[in-house]
Amino acid sequence: MSDLLKDKSQRREKRTVKVPSEGSHGARGKEATVRTKDSISIVSSMDELGHHDDNARMVVTMENTYQMDILKDVLTNYLQQEKYEVEWSQKMTKTICEVIRARVKDLMIPRYKIVVLVHIGQQCGQSMQMSSRCLWDAANDTFASYSFKNSSLFGVATVYAVYFE
Amino acid sequence: MDEYQTEEETAFIVEDVSKVIKESVEVAIGGSTYQHSRVNQWSTSVVEQCLSQLSKMGKPFKYIVTCIIMQKNGAGLQTASACFWDNSTDGSCAVRWENKSMYCIVSVFGLAI
Repeated sequence: MSDLLKDKSQRREKRTVKVPSEGSHGARGKEATVRTKDSISIVSSMDELGHHDDNARMVVTMENTYQMDILKDVLTNYLQQEKYEVEWSQKMTKTICEVIRARVKDLMIPRYKIVVLVHIGQQCGQSMQMSSRCLWDAANDTFASYSFKNSSLFGVATVYAVYFE
Repeated sequence: MDEYQTEEETAFIVEDVSKVIKESVEVAIGGSTYQHSRVNQWSTSVVEQCLSQLSKMGKPFKYIVTCIIMQKNGAGLQTASACFWDNSTDGSCAVRWENKSMYCIVSVFGLAI
């Protein structure tokens, strides 16, 4: 019978981070609302009745709350006590990106391609909106994101994991 | 049946994608001034436009499109991305657009199936 593995329906997922502000100079705190997908538990299934595939396939969908722990950990450690400075934050954004990529790779989940995005911005009372949409296979692909803020800066990290067939 | 696909049809072409992004942004927020109440709708429409144009290109790719719309306030923003993928088939494209009142940064990642 056909199952998730065969079904290549493409659905869109949306994540929005809204950071509203009402003051002109950082006197007001920002509120970040992060809506993440419901967590998906790890599912492994053997397909031995493949109509199109001759090989049995193990599909492991990623536990995205586990990824979020990595993001939370890295962002908090690197940004906790820091103040926004242009050059420092340029370097830090790249460093954090690479650290997160390395840690997600360490999870050694086979057949997944990873995209990591990190944004670090200054808290100036400005308003901004971040959103994303994906055209992928919702059964196998997923994402996780985490946002961090302190009095002078905010940091947002997102990881997308895409199954490679 | 010849199912051979030329490299052009299966490669991630940065120029084409960049054009698509610029058009989508122009159409969605072209002459507008930053308004907090409308920004949600704008960013949704930028991303949806991009995604629908990209899927019309008919290439065997999965796409991730992200959009940041930020009010111009003198604040700084840094963005970086790191990817673990196949360099020969996958690619990304980022476009930075601005007008008098806001910045819009759109990134598209294309991962070959």
